[in-house]
Amino acid sequence: METPKLSPSQLTGPEWLQAKRAGSLTSYNDLPLPQRGLHLWRYTDPRTFVIDSAEATTTSVESTFADVARVEKQHFDDGHLDALVIDNQGQTITSDLSADASAAGLVAGSLTAALDSHRELAERYLYALVNTAFGKFEAMNGALWQDGVFVYVPDNAVLTRPIHLLREAGTNGSRQFPRLLVIVGANAEATVIDEYGGGADEAGDTPSYSNGVVEVFGGAGSRTRYISLQRHGRGMNAYLTHRAQIANDASMVTVPLAFGGATTKQNFGVNLNGRGANSEMAGLLFGGNYQHFDNHTLHHHTVGDTYSNIDYRVALKDRALSAYTGLIRIDQKAKNCEAYQENRNLLLNPGTRAETIPELEILNEDVSCSHGATVGPIDPLMLFYLTCRGIPTDVATRMIVSGFVASTFDKIPSDARERVAAIVESRLGDI
Amino acid sequence: MANGLFSFSDVHVEVEGKEVVRGASLTVNPGEIHAIMGPNGSGKSSLSHGLMGHPAYEITSGTVTLNGADLTEMEADERSRTGLFLAFQYPLAIPGVTVANFLRAALQAHRGPDADMSDFRSLVKGEMDALGIKHDFATRYVNDGFSGGEKKRLEILQMAVLGPRMAILDETDSGLDIDALKTVAEGINRFSGQDNGVLLVTHYQRLLNYVQPDFVHVMMDGRLVKSGGKELAVKLEEQGYEWIEAEVAEMAGAN
Repeated sequence: METPKLSPSQLTGPEWLQAKRAGSLTSYNDLPLPQRGLHLWRYTDPRTFVIDSAEATTTSVESTFADVARVEKQHFDDGHLDALVIDNQGQTITSDLSADASAAGLVAGSLTAALDSHRELAERYLYALVNTAFGKFEAMNGALWQDGVFVYVPDNAVLTRPIHLLREAGTNGSRQFPRLLVIVGANAEATVIDEYGGGADEAGDTPSYSNGVVEVFGGAGSRTRYISLQRHGRGMNAYLTHRAQIANDASMVTVPLAFGGATTKQNFGVNLNGRGANSEMAGLLFGGNYQHFDNHTLHHHTVGDTYSNIDYRVALKDRALSAYTGLIRIDQKAKNCEAYQENRNLLLNPGTRAETIPELEILNEDVSCSHGATVGPIDPLMLFYLTCRGIPTDVATRMIVSGFVASTFDKIPSDARERVAAIVESRLGDI
Repeated sequence: MANGLFSFSDVHVEVEGKEVVRGASLTVNPGEIHAIMGPNGSGKSSLSHGLMGHPAYEITSGTVTLNGADLTEMEADERSRTGLFLAFQYPLAIPGVTVANFLRAALQAHRGPDADMSDFRSLVKGEMDALGIKHDFATRYVNDGFSGGEKKRLEILQMAVLGPRMAILDETDSGLDIDALKTVAEGINRFSGQDNGVLLVTHYQRLLNYVQPDFVHVMMDGRLVKSGGKELAVKLEEQGYEWIEAEVAEMAGAN
């Protein structure tokens, strides 16, 4: 299929960035559409993410956005956050920082502003992980993002409270290209909650569109927690590529949470680039109606003495579909690595569908590695055990599902846990 | 025959279309402890599961009553709320659900959705102390990574908290060391009282050294073939089941 060529009215930013954007645009226009049925596109039609105009659009998001923004503002005012950044449709970025965080040197706010204020960092890290080499849709974001979010935690700074980012999309027919760059310095510590909301509310609406990129860098000895909370409206088609890179003795916890959207394709990956690096991923997806989720994870061990673990959990009801592909790649010279991966899928009724594809590319033999996957309904024996203690079947079912998601919940900072619990609770409501 | 507290009459149980209990009848009066013994594969566990309402163990004919209520057509949760309890031979792990949440949900279901639960903590702590269970047990996930002894203790804890009228204990002694066995037996003895009944289902008479049954029944090939007192269990322990098999065969021949 011929996809429309994009020609934005302008490629914004300083000269070096304009060159990046121009390169990205050329790549987007030159690269063919990924072939349906080939690797990573077996379950999702790539045309879902094609657009016919390069211009981002915005709509008023007052209605869907105000409530959550108010709650988070309150959290910030009550001293539960080190920063609150509000990203309105990739165009207007506003931020508040706590006094402690400012004193510690935290920068959290507009990416465009950081191009001037932190030019060296921006030029060094932006596009370093997700660039034109990645693929057509990543190149589209690279060309078209307008403003994004920049988070910089200086070396040795320890932030005890979350940096909460609210990334709000426009409603029906809107297009946005959210971008995020997080740099956590050596021996620094930070938690980033990256929350995506908004978009067309209902599946029948004119769809909204989002194409996002996230790059996260963890310096030597740093400790980073990154939570991606996707709770878009049911009329949103969203594509997101996340890549993180961690240096020696750095640890990173990545928590991809997916609840919203119509068709969404998200790709989360961490490169373990230094000895002693440690990466945990705890994913949770809860789909309903006719939602279509296509998710990938990657743990790439480029050096030895590194550890990674993935626990990706999926619960589906109604007619929802999830396809999960989890890749562990261990380079030839990366000896003495440990890498584990597990994907569990709970099908709450017939008519749901879950595909799970574990992939291992392990190029040396001096590793400990395991992967596992399960797909199935609630264990009837588990249900019997609860019901024969007097617990009615519907309550018992909800208990089992709550238990299923509990291990992921433990990894979610309390600031976001309440909202995630409310989403899960509402999904469980009519089971 | 008196209706008693708990009784089942000519119960047949099928698993995957195969009849594994072929007409079993028993009446338990308040305050009585009964034991059903029998060799492996005799249908003891199938009977227990069928009585509790396991979906895979269908009661195809016969009736089960508890305290005047007909349980036969009830779902498992209704049977429980009517006062029936089954301690599992192999309790299930429920990952992510804590013991405290599980016990609370079960007790709430028994008392009713609006019932006062303010005594819950002290009730559970008291029963935990009595069973020698550490309090941090309550925050662990149900049976997840539990030792055999811990699982059986949790079964007895559930029984103590829910206070059923009739408790069936399926091979509760299996896999227990002597200390755990004594603790579990003490739990059963403490539970057993004038108003409730106990049915021990067991392969060995080891547990019966610590919990004295009033009646012992022998199950073979899906039927309860012989009943007696405590001495029957002792004889089975000493002589095995062959002599009963012979006796049953002889009776069948005579008929």
